[in-house]
Amino acid sequence: MIATMETSMSEEEQQEEVLTPGRKTVDSPVTGGKPSNVVIEVDHVNFGYVPKKDVLLDISMDINQGEVTAFIGPSGCGKSTLLRCLNRMNDLIPTAGISKGEIRILGTNIHAPEVDVIELRKHVGMVFQKYNPFPKSIFENVAFGLRIQGINDKQKLEQAVEESLRLSGLWEEVKDRLNASGLGLSGGQQQRLCIARAIAVRPKIILMDEPCSALDPISTATIEELITTLKKDFTIVIVTHNMQQAARVSDRTGFFYLGNLIEMDLTTTMFSNPAKKQTEDYISGRFG
Amino acid sequence: MQNTPHTLATFETALQGLRSNVIRIASLSSTNLETAMRGLMTGTPGTLNEVIADDEVNQLERVVDREGMEILFRFNPVASDLRDVLAGMRIAGNAERISDQAKSIARKGKKILKQPAVSELAIVEPLAKAASDMLSNATAAFVNRDAGGALAVVISDRELDELYRKAYKELTKAVESSPQNAKAYIPIVVILRSLERVGDLAVNIAEDTVFAERATDIRHLDLDEAAKETGIEASI
Repeated sequence: MIATMETSMSEEEQQEEVLTPGRKTVDSPVTGGKPSNVVIEVDHVNFGYVPKKDVLLDISMDINQGEVTAFIGPSGCGKSTLLRCLNRMNDLIPTAGISKGEIRILGTNIHAPEVDVIELRKHVGMVFQKYNPFPKSIFENVAFGLRIQGINDKQKLEQAVEESLRLSGLWEEVKDRLNASGLGLSGGQQQRLCIARAIAVRPKIILMDEPCSALDPISTATIEELITTLKKDFTIVIVTHNMQQAARVSDRTGFFYLGNLIEMDLTTTMFSNPAKKQTEDYISGRFG
Repeated sequence: MQNTPHTLATFETALQGLRSNVIRIASLSSTNLETAMRGLMTGTPGTLNEVIADDEVNQLERVVDREGMEILFRFNPVASDLRDVLAGMRIAGNAERISDQAKSIARKGKKILKQPAVSELAIVEPLAKAASDMLSNATAAFVNRDAGGALAVVISDRELDELYRKAYKELTKAVESSPQNAKAYIPIVVILRSLERVGDLAVNIAEDTVFAERATDIRHLDLDEAAKETGIEASI
């Protein structure tokens, strides 16, 4: 499905697409008990950076459409590794690979031979810990992904750039200097520019790997507000070391420890009454 | 779930400090109630004045509120820590209100002592004992993190309510048959009401203890529902 999927769908088409028979749905308390589509299915996955040395162990989870899912856990627990598996970023490491299980996005096994990785990443965008705009103008940073897709029509590009910058909350701040270098923006603005770049190609999913760890509190609050806004249109998975951030922005939280998914539940449950002692000890600052 | 200490020792110390002050305020309120009843039953105005003059409970309530607020903004507690802080602050508030009831009993006691003695004063004793037991048991449940003991306090409120109804009826009869003693009877009615209120406040403390220990809000549930929600076998 990913190999052939249109990169831009109308709301109606998306609605139709999400109601495809056979795709997994769940009754989600986040959506007020209405059925919600499972966008990402992680099914008994083992993963290692070198053969026979798995760092993710039998991970299974469902991630629902339109929700923000946070991965938390101490350093080295596997949360960023799993995040990077979701758009096959780990493919860049020659010895790395999934040794068991599969990851399905929109019902398709993303490691299946017919899946085009470039196509996959159009649907699964990523925002990194350290903001990394290209040494290009603000406009070109946002238009970059679209140009890669072969869209060169000036009007279409302008429309998409404005829409993305508006969605990322940056438009009012940069509309008069779209040709200025993206590197001249403040740290928080550069991170929002990277978010605008990620959403310009209208992905289904946005992965965020500690997107605020290099930002001041005000910029962090702006990004968090943005995450809450973006979840109307995108499914977001965020890795964070900041547990208050996970509590503030996410609908569901998964706690990882030593390569295992210890517990995953509604964020309100995880932070008020976690089922596992390990989770309680970690989130309340008793270890880690 | 709370046997592992926090990595941040100051957080651990702050939580323990709050908890010990909550226990202290509950214990002082209990002492004020017992002292007020002793002063009333033994006819010693000096003892009643001790209760009326007490300010430690009020001050301690302010301390607990300040400590709780500091823990919330400094350490961002979650899960059982968060429940402990919320429950602790609410328990301190309820304990302070119990102490207010004890003061009210002491004030009414002084009025009673100015009147000729009436035998009907003995009516308050069973109620006072039941209310005092409920408060002690609720405090013990909080101290021992005993959700089952706390639920038993909630259940025991039925007995106190029954005692209150009986005492009130008895006193109404006494007013009808000896209206000349009305000046002594009226403060006794107010004391009965205060003791019944102490029972309600002890129930609040017990409910907060269940919340802290079981993450379940049993307020406004009937007893069957409360037992089901908490998974505690309750002898109802």
